[in-house]
Amino acid sequence: MSTIEHRHEPHADGRLPSLRMLVRLMANQPVRYPVSLVLWTGIWSSGLVVAVIVERFFDGIEAGGPAGWTVTVAVGGLLLWIVVRVASILFGMRWHARVLFRAGAAMQRNMLRWIFGLPGARPVREAPGEVVSRFRDDVDHTLEAMDLSVDFSGAIVSATVAFVLLVAVDPVLAGVAFAPMVVVLVVVWVLSARIRAYRECARAATEAVTGFLGESFSAAQSIKVAGAEDAVLARFDVLNERRRAMMVRDRTLTAATDTMGESTGTIGTGLVLVLAAGTIGATGGLSVGEFALFATLMGQTSFAAFFIGTFLARIRQAGVSFERMVDLMDGGQWQDLTRHNVLESPLSAATRTRPAPGHADAPLVSVRGLSHVHPDGEGGVRDVDLDVNEGQLVVVTGRIGSGKSTLLQTLLGLLPADRGRLEWRGVEVTDPGAFMVPPIAAYTPQVPRLFSMALRDNLEMGESYGDRALWTAIEAATLRADLDTMPAGLETLVGPRGMRLSGGQVQRSAAARMLVRRPDLLVFDDLSSALDVETEALLWEQLFDGSEPATALVVSHRRPALSRADLVVVLDHGVVVDRGTAQELRDRSEAFRDLWG
Amino acid sequence: MIPVRAYLALLTTYLRRHRGRMVLLGLLVAADLAVQLAIPQVLRSVIDGALDGQPVDRLGLLAGIVVAAAIAHQVLAVAATWIAEQVGWRATNDLRADLTRHVLHLDLGFHKQHPPGHLIERVDGDVTALSNFFSAMVVKVVGNGMLIAGIMVLLLRESLLVGGVMTLLLLVGLLVLGRLHVVVVPWWRAHRAIAAETYGQLGEQVDGTEDIAANGARDFMQERFADLLRRWMPLEVRGWTGWALMWSTSEILRIAMLVATFVLGARLLGPTGLTIGTVYLVVHYVEMIGHPLHQIREEMQDLQKAGAAIDRVRGLLERPSALPAAGSTVLPAGPLSVAFTDVHFAYDDADGGDVDRVDADGTRPDRDDPHGPTPVLHDVSVSVAAGRVLGVLGRTGSGKSTLARLATRLYAPDRGDVAIGGMSIGDVANLRERVAMVTQDVQLFRATVRDNLTFFDRGIDDDRLHEAIRLLGLDDWLAGLPHGLDTHLGGQDTGVSAGEAQLLAFTRVFLRDPGLVVLDEASSRLDPATESWLERAIDGLLADRTGIIIAHRLHTLHRADDVAVMEAGRVVEFGDRVALAADPDSRYARLLAAGMEEVLT
Repeated sequence: MSTIEHRHEPHADGRLPSLRMLVRLMANQPVRYPVSLVLWTGIWSSGLVVAVIVERFFDGIEAGGPAGWTVTVAVGGLLLWIVVRVASILFGMRWHARVLFRAGAAMQRNMLRWIFGLPGARPVREAPGEVVSRFRDDVDHTLEAMDLSVDFSGAIVSATVAFVLLVAVDPVLAGVAFAPMVVVLVVVWVLSARIRAYRECARAATEAVTGFLGESFSAAQSIKVAGAEDAVLARFDVLNERRRAMMVRDRTLTAATDTMGESTGTIGTGLVLVLAAGTIGATGGLSVGEFALFATLMGQTSFAAFFIGTFLARIRQAGVSFERMVDLMDGGQWQDLTRHNVLESPLSAATRTRPAPGHADAPLVSVRGLSHVHPDGEGGVRDVDLDVNEGQLVVVTGRIGSGKSTLLQTLLGLLPADRGRLEWRGVEVTDPGAFMVPPIAAYTPQVPRLFSMALRDNLEMGESYGDRALWTAIEAATLRADLDTMPAGLETLVGPRGMRLSGGQVQRSAAARMLVRRPDLLVFDDLSSALDVETEALLWEQLFDGSEPATALVVSHRRPALSRADLVVVLDHGVVVDRGTAQELRDRSEAFRDLWG
Repeated sequence: MIPVRAYLALLTTYLRRHRGRMVLLGLLVAADLAVQLAIPQVLRSVIDGALDGQPVDRLGLLAGIVVAAAIAHQVLAVAATWIAEQVGWRATNDLRADLTRHVLHLDLGFHKQHPPGHLIERVDGDVTALSNFFSAMVVKVVGNGMLIAGIMVLLLRESLLVGGVMTLLLLVGLLVLGRLHVVVVPWWRAHRAIAAETYGQLGEQVDGTEDIAANGARDFMQERFADLLRRWMPLEVRGWTGWALMWSTSEILRIAMLVATFVLGARLLGPTGLTIGTVYLVVHYVEMIGHPLHQIREEMQDLQKAGAAIDRVRGLLERPSALPAAGSTVLPAGPLSVAFTDVHFAYDDADGGDVDRVDADGTRPDRDDPHGPTPVLHDVSVSVAAGRVLGVLGRTGSGKSTLARLATRLYAPDRGDVAIGGMSIGDVANLRERVAMVTQDVQLFRATVRDNLTFFDRGIDDDRLHEAIRLLGLDDWLAGLPHGLDTHLGGQDTGVSAGEAQLLAFTRVFLRDPGLVVLDEASSRLDPATESWLERAIDGLLADRTGIIIAHRLHTLHRADDVAVMEAGRVVEFGDRVALAADPDSRYARLLAAGMEEVLT
């Protein structure tokens, strides 16, 4: 039996360096990001100018000087300020949006590349719904931290300048005014572990909900036929309820840290008044203008406290998301997630191993001692020796769970081999996953998948073979009759996962996809399971009875395959128990006669 | 502006259950409001009192009140958020459940058009936007809106001229914001649409890594994903621009108000007009407007998204199932007869009311089917008496699977009638209890073996499970699992071979007591040895039940009493299996001969 639980390897070194990862994302855009940083630091700090204008205004009217002049200067200053402000907001926002989008897109592309780089038959532990959640939500969470980093810088600069301005008025009062902000920052710092834990729980609960939804929608037909809607929904309710509890907790704590920053300004202003209220207007005391400067600046810096607090909290939360994304990249390091790439250019193509010339008399493919053990220690294949010579049809057969599919997948590098040697024309292949692809080998899995694009694109998958080659492959895959019923022909859209086609049509399309690549070796797994007798017979005829018979390694237990085979290999519990022609095996192997029926 | 009416129309039923909490929320928000409005009033008293030379004790007390009020504001705001989140999540969880129920009840044609990743975005992504809508709406938008209104009232109390000018400026500002909103919503809609498309495609690619790897199409698929991201970026920037426009507007409003304060304050200052403390009060209130406006503006972004989300959720909820609702007649126990009478059916892929159309903006051309509905079944009439087994043969595409889907009412015939137990299938209330089907695609959940077998139905006890498992000869397999029935399966067929999945699907059927069992290509992935082992189980299952077996191989039909041969959507031959086999001119006999030939070569 096969995998029950996927191995889960937590990161040995525990927590990821989330701050370093964030800095790496910024450094990937060495011009764009600093421009954003300077722009937004300026935008946030420019708020202080308004506070100074307010101070000058009050000082002017309190002194009872020429009111007209005071007002003119103040109003002129404000108008100039707003023009610069609006222009920088509009420009800064568009600039910043691009910076963030590029950072997110780079992480998403890195993750997808990593997933594609894993053994194809065992990509990720997570269900597609969960994978989507990591691409969407976790990328968003890390971008939020990156977004706030420029605001954070603005907050630090403006708070520092504000503090200097206030110290110039009265150092003691300045200290008192800023004390609440410092307290808040300490509190947020102390709470940070909890913030992170809450966020982690909330994310996990959300993922459970989306994962379950994805599986339920995938299984819609089975659920309908079983009339199991209510039971499935009852389970959904349980998951929803748990997620609510986690989300409310997380959101409330976030709101608490947010408002904490916001209240610091008022508390600071109140404290200044407690000390200095008696001195307002008195000689040597605060002027009304100076008090207004305090109050307005405290209002401004309460934004600063808000951003500082939020940014620190978001870094923790981004840490959770970084971890979940790196976790998705099975075996990957954080550097693999944050590696730089430019949205406009394609990612560097995987390096292809070119086939060495090889020896003419060596078998096309030869494996010795090939083994793959499933992670749970059961099933898999052990010590398989197998040769496929040019022009041969080799059929692997055996009972259910005997390791037939595993053998093909391991040979193609779609599963990692634990042991064994693979040779192509007598030359050792070290990375079968990269080597055993078209034009060397092409493969059709037991349950092939198509993608939501035109049938032509599904067959070509990025190559251009031309109509002639396509139609030849279609003919050979006995797909011609199906295409005749599709008015749009090759441009027919097959729907998500090819669901608009019948099971047999998907299989024949996948066969055509394999054949059009004209590989040296065809590998397919139970190709005919969704085909009827006549179609199947036709398919075998097309493939192997022509003047140039294909070289193929197939899993099948069907007679048209077995009777044509140059070599039949019988697997049992992952081990080759017999091999020979169908005729020989029928005569001597009881296991084979069992299968033959 | 903000789609409040649409939101309420959608969620009133769900919110009604939380009336008590909502009243409490109202009280908290109102108290918070009062505290925030009082603070500048106290500050004014301090300034004017100090300039008047009032005693320091009283001024100190007033200053202490400011500090206490600021702390009270903090506590009230957090409490309000907590309640609002509770109500928001409870209400939207109910909506999520209803949406999921609705989607699960929608016909199979709908599911074939919408990949699971896309539906998750509809049922969870959009609804989560709505859950934020509630807390954002009540606490931030309504709370802050009332704060601004309160400030205006208090300014009018100080001076009709100052209050009047400020109110006018505010109204102009809000008008501009409203106009901007109308412009910006479609920008956000386009943004959400491309997000749904991108993640739909991603889910599909992640699901098909084996095919992608084996065909050397990794680079191509990566580029396909990147192309969507490249199309997405300008839409993202446009969305942010909308936000920047709104922010700029409220900054302009704030400065206009400050300018008005300076001009009016300088003019009205004096013994008969405003005190300096009052001018400060006006400045403080004007500066206070900035923050709630900022919050409202920030929430606008969410609310805009919610507008699009509400449209899509409603579109999905209002989408009718192509199947009429089930009837009320109850099928009796025991085997059930099946009769197809002049059935005509075509898959209608290009039907209207597609939920995607709402957010289409012309960005999803691949949702449209290039060809119209093609008839799949023509005038099919075939019947199976109760307790008999019908075998259906034919090439792929001849309509066999469609026949099975009509017998299980996954689709309804366009013309003609399907009768089960003598009753028209649409009139039957308990069809799902009485009719079972196993297809070749078995979907498993990432859940325990037990939950996978019972579909999470806790009413099925372990004894029944064990019995079904034993009947199918799966007990050895079960014994090999680390935690027995509580073992977690990997999901998406991970960890379970196709054949094992098939056996699990048989167990699902065994757990019920159907009167009709439809096996659609059920054994196609099993090797002959496993198949013969399963044959015995099927014999048990079909005993005293009606069966329809759709198979590609002749020998799986040996237990059929009758045989129907299909070709291009028509039943071209139907009759007693033994009689047909004996008639050398029958298609069945010719197929048998072909099958024999195959054995002989």
